[in-house]
Amino acid sequence: MSERLERLVNLTATLLDTRRPLTLEELAERLEPSYPAQKVARRRAFERDKETLRNLGVPIITTPVDALTNELGYRIRPEDYYLPDPGLSSDERAALHVAVTAVRLEGGEAREGLSKLGGVEGTPAPALAALEVTSGLGELFDAVARRRTVDFDYRGEVRHLDPYGVVHRFGHWYVVGRDRDKDALRSFRIDRLDGPPRPGAEGGFEAPVDFDPSTALRADPLTYGDDEPVTAQVLVDVSHAAWVVDKLGEPAVVERRADGGVVVALDVVNREAFRSFVLGLLEHAEVLAPPELRQDIVDWLRAVAEPVA
Amino acid sequence: MSPPLAASRLRRMLALVPWILAHPGTTINELAHRFDVSAGEVEADLALLPMCGLPPYTADRLIDVWVADDGAVTIRLAEYFDRPLRLTGSEGVALLVVGRALLAVPGSDPNGPLARALEKLEQVLGARGALSIEVGAADHLDRLTHAAADAEQLELDYYSFARDEMTTRVVDPLRVFHTLGAWYLAGYCHRAQADRLFRVDRVRGIRSTGQRSPAHRSDDDDDEELVDRVYRPDPSDPRVELQLRPEAAWVAESLPTEEARPRADGGWDVVLAVSGPAFLERLLLRLGPAATVIAPPEAQAARADAAARILARYQA
Repeated sequence: MSERLERLVNLTATLLDTRRPLTLEELAERLEPSYPAQKVARRRAFERDKETLRNLGVPIITTPVDALTNELGYRIRPEDYYLPDPGLSSDERAALHVAVTAVRLEGGEAREGLSKLGGVEGTPAPALAALEVTSGLGELFDAVARRRTVDFDYRGEVRHLDPYGVVHRFGHWYVVGRDRDKDALRSFRIDRLDGPPRPGAEGGFEAPVDFDPSTALRADPLTYGDDEPVTAQVLVDVSHAAWVVDKLGEPAVVERRADGGVVVALDVVNREAFRSFVLGLLEHAEVLAPPELRQDIVDWLRAVAEPVA
Repeated sequence: MSPPLAASRLRRMLALVPWILAHPGTTINELAHRFDVSAGEVEADLALLPMCGLPPYTADRLIDVWVADDGAVTIRLAEYFDRPLRLTGSEGVALLVVGRALLAVPGSDPNGPLARALEKLEQVLGARGALSIEVGAADHLDRLTHAAADAEQLELDYYSFARDEMTTRVVDPLRVFHTLGAWYLAGYCHRAQADRLFRVDRVRGIRSTGQRSPAHRSDDDDDEELVDRVYRPDPSDPRVELQLRPEAAWVAESLPTEEARPRADGGWDVVLAVSGPAFLERLLLRLGPAATVIAPPEAQAARADAAARILARYQA
């Protein structure tokens, strides 16, 4: 075990130190503890080491060193490897420690990141929040940071997005950016991506200056979709009025009734989400207008009340 | 899954060495605390280093480690490890996520050390302002947080979403926390005579009882357990079995199911815990024709009944 660890440290040091790419043969000649002499076993052991290092984030690059034989060389560019010093002070490191302990996140990445920044200082904090990280978030954030255009499958369509930022809202993660085909700002729920995002080359686009991803995300999944926009009015009884006003915001209120009920207006671009919202209020709410949305609720409920056997 | 031992030790060593190089004389105990491992593990890492270096592994090319009697550590001949390995995308985002989430909690200092640390990190990652986290502010959040800290017993008017009813109950608040997009109060509920979770946005009224909450245990295990309980159904809840069409597959993905079997047509057969009648009514109304109730028959009747109650409003 420690032999392999020793070799991993030495491999990292050698690849960092070299000015030109080294072939596996050259590495095998130099490195201790040595790789197996037999060629297939040697390649297998090296590939395993390379995989381990890459998984830790060690940026090994592979380049052909001989155009004729297609032989490959390996090195680590120092500018890719080293963390630029963020210049954290002791109290800033302690504040990050509090954050890492107060906010529970699946996986140990936050702690591992903190240890690269100099480890923990100060005292931990009790849990205050737990967040879920969805798969694809790390890749998409990296694509934002490195200005990589990403391709991904979303609801049966391939999207090409210049990602400007990621947003966590309502317990979900969204990626926000410019949809290259539609040439417009779009946001996508990250957990709804079909398969991992496919990032392109670094520096593939320019992001707008001082872009705030949270403003680009529409206020509510309810108003999130491609249906023909229509303004709906919904009467909500007193028992549920406070909650609905809190959710939609005070400007949504168009009428306050004497019994405490409220009429709220909302722009509907996703009829399915709108129906779910209204039905979620059970008999404490009623769609007043427009007639087509009112009829949609009635038709839906009739079908549900008398299902075809 | 945790990484294999060699990988996790390598990860630590690539962080440990730069720190020692930048802070010569730091002690083994300090290192153990800082990197959250035992002193023995630090010693084992340090013992390995003198075997490492650059070819041809002569004395002038091997890492030189010196540990003084008082545990102070000095390292030489490891210039290539003088700065840590850059953060991976997931490490960078994880740090910003926890930091931004904490900063978004009402009452955080927007210009304090955490905010400064995050700005520096974003700068280094080339991702200034690229991540936004909203945890929302619920009414009463501040009041409940203080009550939990001060062991102040409260009487709450609470809207039970699962049963669609208002209740009043005496609660000893234990802790307030955020998860799955909502704020929760964990506390001992005198009405249920058990620990309960309350969604803060469903608390409609708060009064002090004038009593102090009895002392409650509050260690890390409890934290984990409380957070878990948000996801976990109550074993005593009734179950409903549904057959779902493909368009309702999100139920199998997003709701905590007891059983979920994919069907050949892309749909699912699922068994769900029903935390209250209103929960079931809402779910079935929302799914409409995309869900067929397999069992129990009362669930089918509940759906028809709820639909009829709402329809009555539209036909009045």
